Amino acid sequence: MGAIDGKVDLESDEEIPFSSSAATNKVEALDFEMIHLPSRPVIANSWIARHIGIRAVRSIYIVLLKAKINMLLPFGPLAILLHYITGKHGWVFFFSLLGIIPLAERLGYATEQLAFYTGPTVGGLLNATFGNATEMIISIYALKNGMIRVVQQSLLGSILSNMLLVLGCAFFSGGIIHYNKVQEFNKSAAVVNSGLLLMAVMGIMFPAVLHFTHTEVHFGKSELALSRFSSCIMLVAYASYLFFQLKSHRSLYNPILEEGDNNEECDDDEIPEITHWEAIGWLSILTVWVSILSGYLVDAIQGASDSFNIPVAFISVILLPIVGNAAEHASAIMFAMKDKLDITLGVAIGSSTQISMFVIPFCVVVGWIMGEPMDLNFQLFETATLFITVLVVAFMLQEGTSNYFKGLMLILCYLIVAASFFVHVDPSNDD
Amino acid sequence: MSHKLSVEMESIDNESLHEFEDEILSIPEMKAQKSHPIQALGEGSFSGGLQARGDKVWRNAVCKSIKTVVFSNKLNMLMPFGPLAIFIHIFTGHNGWVFFLTLLGITPLAERLGYATEQLAFYTGPTVGGLLNATFGNATELIISIYALKHGMLRVVQQSLLGSILSNMLLVLGCAFFCGGLVFQDKEQVFDKATAVVNSGLLLMAVMGLLFPAVLHYTHTEVHFGKSELALSRFSSCIMLLAYATYLFYQLKSQKNQYVPLNEEGSQNEDNSSDDDDETPEISKWESIIWLVIMTSWISFLSEYLVNAIEGASVAWKIPISFISVILLPIVGNAAEHASAIMFAMKDKLDISLGVAIGSSTQISMFGIPFCVVIGWIMGRPMDLNFQLFETATLFITVLVVAFLLQDGTSNYFKGLMLILCYLIVAASFFVHVDPLAADEAGLKT
Repeated sequence: MGAIDGKVDLESDEEIPFSSSAATNKVEALDFEMIHLPSRPVIANSWIARHIGIRAVRSIYIVLLKAKINMLLPFGPLAILLHYITGKHGWVFFFSLLGIIPLAERLGYATEQLAFYTGPTVGGLLNATFGNATEMIISIYALKNGMIRVVQQSLLGSILSNMLLVLGCAFFSGGIIHYNKVQEFNKSAAVVNSGLLLMAVMGIMFPAVLHFTHTEVHFGKSELALSRFSSCIMLVAYASYLFFQLKSHRSLYNPILEEGDNNEECDDDEIPEITHWEAIGWLSILTVWVSILSGYLVDAIQGASDSFNIPVAFISVILLPIVGNAAEHASAIMFAMKDKLDITLGVAIGSSTQISMFVIPFCVVVGWIMGEPMDLNFQLFETATLFITVLVVAFMLQEGTSNYFKGLMLILCYLIVAASFFVHVDPSNDD
Repeated sequence: MSHKLSVEMESIDNESLHEFEDEILSIPEMKAQKSHPIQALGEGSFSGGLQARGDKVWRNAVCKSIKTVVFSNKLNMLMPFGPLAIFIHIFTGHNGWVFFLTLLGITPLAERLGYATEQLAFYTGPTVGGLLNATFGNATELIISIYALKHGMLRVVQQSLLGSILSNMLLVLGCAFFCGGLVFQDKEQVFDKATAVVNSGLLLMAVMGLLFPAVLHYTHTEVHFGKSELALSRFSSCIMLLAYATYLFYQLKSQKNQYVPLNEEGSQNEDNSSDDDDETPEISKWESIIWLVIMTSWISFLSEYLVNAIEGASVAWKIPISFISVILLPIVGNAAEHASAIMFAMKDKLDISLGVAIGSSTQISMFGIPFCVVIGWIMGRPMDLNFQLFETATLFITVLVVAFLLQDGTSNYFKGLMLILCYLIVAASFFVHVDPLAADEAGLKT
């Protein structure tokens, strides 16, 4: 679980001025992938104001300053400044993109810290919901602006990026590091998960297929009704998916935290680095911050497309998902390099499944509430791309092994997909 | 010998009636096994009363036969709907109700047809029995399709057969997985991966064979637009029928040796070709044949009304015809298989459920559909394999996804739920689906 910040924190460890205390030793003895925050266990003192002041500072330190990725943080305010001062959309867009990345990563971090305190069930739910919080926030802003195609394309691009880019990089890096052996992963879990993803993708494809065979009863309207109906069904499916996973895998859930370590309570070997309330507080702050920046980001898309001469499709499908997926990307690669491909696969496929079973239908429903005609009609090219990609990757995963060549092939396929979107323009403008 | 047995059994008649009623529903599953039905069906031989005594005996026999076949099954409560439908047709001509009631009326008949087929299979030995099962397994769908062909409702034929495949792969399988998973919540049910993979591979190939005329037509690359595609369809159908014959031959031949052990988990059985084995057939050979004929003609009779009422029902209830053909009609044909698949899943015999579902789909795609094309050819109807883009895409995607899903050999209630939900989405898409062909035919001359 602490995977996401694992990599970053590991490196920043050396920068920590404090020396390790007993807690650190205990922690270090346990595991590498844990959030390796050295020591500094929760300070339980009795000073009040000063204590709070220290805590606040410590909290800010832990959350904001420790991870190297937070170097990108200043870009956020910079983007806002640029927006008001120059109004140059290209740069505003670019800087907001850079500014959101660390926030997304910290959001994941805060979610995990909170998950320590809430126990496995709610923790799992939290992870499931906030895992794609960034994409959801960006999508909701885009919906509010009526940029429906951007929403569809960015969510679709997120799935593509997870299945091709993240997986490819993970296989590639892992393969290079462990080049003398073939890395293996749990075949059956991968097959089951990719089967689910395939079904989910199938569920969201039908409205598009219906529309494109021009066989609707009321052209345009039936397809919207069908999309809304399908979305409700997919949300039901997602709820049962969560229920099923949490119920049947409850016993498996805990051990994932630590390689088979005891842990019923939260004060276990991985000491959460910030307290319960701090976690909630940071969660809210980061969410708000992400929302603000997303607002600027979304506003700047059209302008950036004009000034950089890139199609909006490319921006939505390729650039936006990079932001949302950055943290998962980093953690997947890190786990692959540690020869824990199962976790990598879980991250990549799990994220794709969540997007197709939850985020996309959720956006349709939110659009319904907002009165926007957001539907599941992804246009023929995107639909075909999605289906082909998921099918091919699902087949590829059946073997249960990985090597750097497979990773390279996936990355190259992603480059081809990206290139096709670079020269892709939406026909829907003519409809 | 069987008579003595039956005399003893008669005393337990009443109990067995209740106990084995559920298992009677299992009869239809055997047709998918293509082997002798070897389940502990109605151990009580209800119709034991065949003593040599002339007319009275004959009447007794008839009564017992009727009792066995018609009254012993709960599903047969739906039987009166058949004649009722005919009455309504004659008196009110309200197509909506005629359609609905006929639908209800055919369901028990389809199930009894399966039952009679199996009873007959007891007497004919494994080979012919398998063939019988294979042919009559989808008899209802074939009969409905032939009537629709006669009326020139080609799209209804295509859509109902396609809907039958979809319903088998998604609904039947989904319900089976779901119910089985709910009953066996603590463990994951497993099925024979190898068989499932082989069968779904066959299905995939069969579907691929059916898709080419549609793909050809839709890429507008035919030599003679419209005509080449029809010729190609007919040619492909003949090839598919050949493939089907080989499939039957291969199955029956390779299973011949394994045939026997399928009996009551390895109980004594050198030859089950005779009727004196553990499962005593409930009705005699001639009775089975007669009932087979009676059921078939009754179904044909009702199908006539059914098909006639389709368009009227569509107008009366404001449902697109495609929804009726793809979703409602196959439910009738598949009802019995549906029930048996669920029952077997709940008994943790997933292999049989899978056999039923996938076997039925394979039969329809390798036999039912090509057969209809050939019949259409004979009748002079332009029935082809061009299923229209939406149906073709749906079929292909569904078969591909389900084939993939079956590869890991496990099942749980969530998978079943997902399959059912996917079926709901497909059904919903057909609800808002209108045929472009209708518009085409109105606009152009065909």
